[in-house]
Amino acid sequence: MISTRFVLKRLLLLVPVLVGVASLVFSILHLSPGDPALTIAGERASEEFVRQIEESLGLNDPIWVQYGRFLVDAAQFQFGESFIIQRNTAVREVLANKLPVTLELAIYGQLIGISLGIPLGILSAVKQDSITDHLTRIGALAGISVPIFWSGPLLILLFAQVLGWLPTSGRISVLYNVEAIRVTGLVTVDTLLAGNWEMFVSAVRHMILPASVIGVYSMALISRMMRSSMLEVIRQDYMRTARAKGQGAKITVLKHGFRNAMIPVITVIGIQFGGLLGGAVLTETVFAIGGIGTLLVEAIKVGDYPIVQGTVLTFAFLFTLVNLGVDITYSILDPRIEQ
Amino acid sequence: MSTETTTTTTNETAADVDQRGLIDRLTASPFVSRLLSNRLALAGIAIIVAMVVIALYARLFLDLEVITQSQLGTNPNRAPPSLDYPFGTDGQARSLLPRVAYGAWYAMLFGTVTVAASTVLGVGLGIVAAYYSDVTDNVIMRTMDVLLAFPSLLLALALVAIFPDELGLWRAVAALTLVYTPRFARVVRGAALTVLENEYIDATVALGAADPRVLIRHVLPNCLAPITVQSTLNFGLAIIDLAALSFLGFGAEAGTPSWGLMLSNGVSQGLLTGVWWWSFFPGFFLALTVLGFNLLGDGMRDALDPRMREAVD
Repeated sequence: MISTRFVLKRLLLLVPVLVGVASLVFSILHLSPGDPALTIAGERASEEFVRQIEESLGLNDPIWVQYGRFLVDAAQFQFGESFIIQRNTAVREVLANKLPVTLELAIYGQLIGISLGIPLGILSAVKQDSITDHLTRIGALAGISVPIFWSGPLLILLFAQVLGWLPTSGRISVLYNVEAIRVTGLVTVDTLLAGNWEMFVSAVRHMILPASVIGVYSMALISRMMRSSMLEVIRQDYMRTARAKGQGAKITVLKHGFRNAMIPVITVIGIQFGGLLGGAVLTETVFAIGGIGTLLVEAIKVGDYPIVQGTVLTFAFLFTLVNLGVDITYSILDPRIEQ
Repeated sequence: MSTETTTTTTNETAADVDQRGLIDRLTASPFVSRLLSNRLALAGIAIIVAMVVIALYARLFLDLEVITQSQLGTNPNRAPPSLDYPFGTDGQARSLLPRVAYGAWYAMLFGTVTVAASTVLGVGLGIVAAYYSDVTDNVIMRTMDVLLAFPSLLLALALVAIFPDELGLWRAVAALTLVYTPRFARVVRGAALTVLENEYIDATVALGAADPRVLIRHVLPNCLAPITVQSTLNFGLAIIDLAALSFLGFGAEAGTPSWGLMLSNGVSQGLLTGVWWWSFFPGFFLALTVLGFNLLGDGMRDALDPRMREAVD
C-alpha cells in the first residue's frame, strides 16, 4: 500500500516548484509593457488620479517588497480585484465561477479519450500489424496532427449548420438560466440536481461537440501509448507462464497485461490533462464557452493583470496537482517505484 | 517522459567512420535503413518535401504585397473555389491559393527558427547540467521543472504578452522557444548522462581535453539521435502552436498570410455564413504538414529504439 511518507515527501517537493512558478508569473507581468494604473484609470485620467491608483496598488514600493507581498498573497490564493473584465470583483470569485466550466469540458473530453483510447490501444497491440492495427495507428497520428481550431469549426459547420443536429456554441440554450440553479457550476450536474430533464438534455447536446474534439485528441495519445506499452508487456515471461498454465488469452491480457501496461498510459493521461487545460483556451474560443481559457485570452488582450496572474497560477497549480496524482497512482500500481 | 536512451553501436572505430563520405555513412546506418523501410515515415518525408517545395516556390515567385493587399473591386468577394480561384477568395477578395502557399513558407520559416532555437538552448543546458552535475545541474533542471509546470500553450500565451506587438509572429517564436527548451534539456540531459558513463569519456578527460572539447566533440555527437527525434516531433507541435497563437490573436499581424490567422478570420467571418473554403484550405495544409512531421518523427523513434516509443509530448 502507499505510504503517507511518500505522499508527504512529494507534497514537500512541490513547494519549491510552486514558488518558482509564482516567481515566474510575477516576473512575466513585471516585464510586460503597459501600466496597470493607467489601464485602470483610463487614457484620459488626470495624473493625480493615476498616481493615487499606483499608490493604492503598491506599485511605488521597491520591487522586492512587491514580490514578497505577491508571494504571500499567492500562497493564500489572493490576487486582488479584476481591473477591467469584472471590475471590483475579487479574482478569486471570478475564477471560482469560471473554473468549473473548464473542468467540466476537460473531464468529459478526457472520459471520451480514455474510454475509446484504452480499448483501441489494446486491440491494436493484440492484433499487431493487422489492418485494425494500421488503421488505429494512422487514425491516432491523424488525431494528434489535426488542430482543434480547425476540426472544431468544421464539426460545427457539419453537425450544427448543415445537419442541424447539435447547437453551434455555448454551454446550454439561452432560454435557460443556469445561474439560478448553480450548485457545483458543472452544468450537466446542476441541471440533473435541479431535476430539470429538458435543461439537462440541452446541456448534454451542447457538450457533445467540444468534448468530442478534445476527446479525439486525447484518444489518439492514449491509444498510441497503450499500444506500445501493451506490446512490451505481452512479450514478458510472466505472460507466457500464465498462458502455459492454461489461462485463456483474453484473461491473460486483461488481468496480467493490463495492470502492468497501464503505468506509462497513466503518465500520458496526466500529461494530457494538462494539455487539455491548455487546449481549453482554444476549444472554449472555438465553441464560445466562457471558461477560464477564454477569460485568460481576454485578460491578456485588455491588460487585466490580476486576472492573468490568478488564471495562470491556477492552471499551473492544477497541472502540478495532476502530476502529483500521477506519481501517487504509479506507486499504487507498481510499489517498487516508491523506493 | 523517458530519459532512458540508447545510442546506436557499431563495430567501427570513430576514425573509420570519419573517413567515409556522408552518403555512405547514412546508408550504412541501421537507423536510416530501418527508417527508410517504414512506409509511413516515407510518406511523412514526401509530405514535408512537398511543403518545402511549395514554401520555396511561394517565397521566390509570389509577390507578398499582392497577396497581402485587399483585392476588393478587382476579384469577386468570397467566391467559392473555381478554375480561376482554386481555393476560392476571402473577405477581402484575395485569392486563397497563393495565400495558403505563402502560409507554407511562414510555417516552415517560423517553425524552423523555433525548433532550432529551442534545440540549441535545450541541448546546451542539458549537456552542461549532465556534465557539471551538483549545483549546476540542480539550478538548471529545477528551473526547467518550473517551466514544465505550466501547460505549454498557456505559458506561451503569458510569455507572448512580454514582447511588443510590432514583433508579430516573432514574439510567438520567442515565447514558444522558451516553452520548448525544457523538453530538449530533459531529453538531452538523460542521454548525456548515459554517454558520460562510457570509458572513452574518462579517457578523454585523462588525456587533458578541456571541458568544451569533451562536451562538443564526444558527448554531443552521441546524443544526436534522441535530439533529432525530439526536434522532428517538436516541429509539428511548433507549427500547430504558432498557428494557435495567431488564431487567438497573439501572432501574425492582420493581413499576413499565415495559416493560423487565415483560419481565425475564416472561422470568425465566414464559416457560419457558408464560406467554408476560407478556413478549410489553410487548416487542411496546416494539418497535413503537422501530420508529415509526426509520421517522420514517429518512424524515427521506432527506428532508433523500440523502447523510445514512450510519450514525447
